[in-house]
Amino acid sequence: MAICLPHFLLTVMRFIFRVCLLTPLTALAMSGEVMDGEGAPLMDVVITLTPLLEDKASSENAKKTINIVMDQQKREFVPHVLPVKAGTHIVFPNSDDIQHHVYSFSSAKRFEIKLYKDTPANAIVFNQAGVVAIGCNIHDWMVGYIYVADAPYFGKTDASGRWNLDVPAGEYRLALWHPDVKTSFVLPNEVVHVPSVSPLRHSILLKSHPQTGKPPSSLQLEEYAGDF
Amino acid sequence: MLHFGFRVIIFFLAYCKCVLLSAAEQNFPEFSWHGLADFRYQYSAAQTGWAEGGLGKFRFGGEASRVRVNEVALVLQARWWEWSGTVIAKYAHDQKLPIDLTEAFLQYRPVSTTACRFNAKLGMFFPPISLENTGTAWSSPYTLSSSAINSWVGEELRTFGAELHLNYNFDTHDRLDVFAAGFLNNDTVGTLLSWKGWSLHDYEATLHDKLSLPQGIGIKSNFPFQANETIPFIEVDQHFGFYTGVTLDSQEMGKFRLLYYDNMANPQAIKEGQYGWHTRFWSLGSKHELPYEITMIAQGMVGSTGMGKLKEGKRSVDVDFWSASALLSKSIDIHRFSVRFDYFVTDQNDSLPLDNNNETGYAWTFNYNFTLAQHHQFNFEVNYIDSDRPARLSQNQAAHQEELLWQFAYRIFY
Repeated sequence: MAICLPHFLLTVMRFIFRVCLLTPLTALAMSGEVMDGEGAPLMDVVITLTPLLEDKASSENAKKTINIVMDQQKREFVPHVLPVKAGTHIVFPNSDDIQHHVYSFSSAKRFEIKLYKDTPANAIVFNQAGVVAIGCNIHDWMVGYIYVADAPYFGKTDASGRWNLDVPAGEYRLALWHPDVKTSFVLPNEVVHVPSVSPLRHSILLKSHPQTGKPPSSLQLEEYAGDF
Repeated sequence: MLHFGFRVIIFFLAYCKCVLLSAAEQNFPEFSWHGLADFRYQYSAAQTGWAEGGLGKFRFGGEASRVRVNEVALVLQARWWEWSGTVIAKYAHDQKLPIDLTEAFLQYRPVSTTACRFNAKLGMFFPPISLENTGTAWSSPYTLSSSAINSWVGEELRTFGAELHLNYNFDTHDRLDVFAAGFLNNDTVGTLLSWKGWSLHDYEATLHDKLSLPQGIGIKSNFPFQANETIPFIEVDQHFGFYTGVTLDSQEMGKFRLLYYDNMANPQAIKEGQYGWHTRFWSLGSKHELPYEITMIAQGMVGSTGMGKLKEGKRSVDVDFWSASALLSKSIDIHRFSVRFDYFVTDQNDSLPLDNNNETGYAWTFNYNFTLAQHHQFNFEVNYIDSDRPARLSQNQAAHQEELLWQFAYRIFY
């Protein structure tokens, strides 16, 4: 039986086209840099990328359950800012040799882990998107943030203010968040096309004296127990 | 059948046993301790200090240089669930009892998972007036000598009672706190402020303290029942006093605290040589972070105190007082530079003009300190006070005095 060459080529092309449609699109790197109002690199800025059109791959990704740790080391929450996706189970180990009392009254997740050392038996589940500010009832300076993202792609800036995210090509809404943003400052929230020119550059104005979540610089300042 | 009260006691003891057993299983309570030791070199060019019976504005004065252990304080704490207990004991130079308590209180701090929160404090503690004394054992990270207002708080004010706080926490981390307290045992507050006036020092009176009154200004002749020393913490008339106030703590606007205090003392009561002094005042404080990372603390106080019988509408002692201070402080790495200005006034309006308690004055304080390895702090401080107090004429001194105090301190925090 003779094979018609044009028909064969057409069949092969159709096959390739179908495979391309079924296979997740190749992830492309997006990157950016965030500075504060004085031009210094700003760490702990949460970056979220939400596709404008439904993205099957990201939807599948969002359903996965993962366990993450928010540690307490040297009377400080580590990391200071922790972006997670909704549904994440977070464990709050206490790596210090003194007790901590972790709590949050943020509307996205209200919880309390009373005075404890070591690792609690149960993780806390963060289902609702939003910012969960956490504190310690013993050490008032201890502040940390869990950013529960409803976006499928998210990350945060490192100490040099840089971020990188691998996302499929397409149109996205890019949003930035930082715990110490000045109240009057409107955080960047814009549509970006992937691929596009990277790195993206943003700057964020901060409050004049942000809460670092770190212990005071001297022992004298830690311990007047009388104030509320 | 057991008496009802007896059954209540048994039930309470059984409850305590359960709580303690449960606590022991969970390694509760957790104990901790810390404190400070403060060594000083001082050189003063000043009037005889108020602790020496003089009318100088420092605790110790004269033309003298001194080396001394200024203070050693120990803070003990225990925590169990939402409760904590704190005891602060100290040795201070020339303290009545070599080791005595400055504070001893229980705190109840339940976690709230809503924006509203309730806290309580019970025992012996400072009323929330000073915005400077935020360090270990009520020490200040900014200066050695407290402001005129906070020096007076240290020497005559202490709450023996309960303080309740209700606060609302905003999403921006700002906090609004409303508080109120009822107390006893503070009926003589105002004695030192009237008879010796305002001063600058870092002495906190203790539970069993007795403090010197100025000599040679006619206190004994005008008030023969007054003891030679004032007991700052004594209940004379069995009346409760109170204070109430509000604090706004905002990351962007700063911290503001307004307080109204009234010890409700009966000004005609007397017990063990101690008069009741009816003292009431408003206190306002604010703390701001200025540009260039400069901290500003401003405090103001206005009030009056009175003691004795009414005679033609006037009491034997009736003194209006006010003071204001502003402190600027800049911290660079381990170094801190602070400067403070104090202004203070007492104005008498009483039936005994011979007992002259008028005063006006101002003070400058300059401090430089650096802290090594979080524990070791070295301070250099100079205080200059310019004041007018006509009662000094009774001590054969000029009413107007300029006084100077140089200090070097090594403080170790542990």
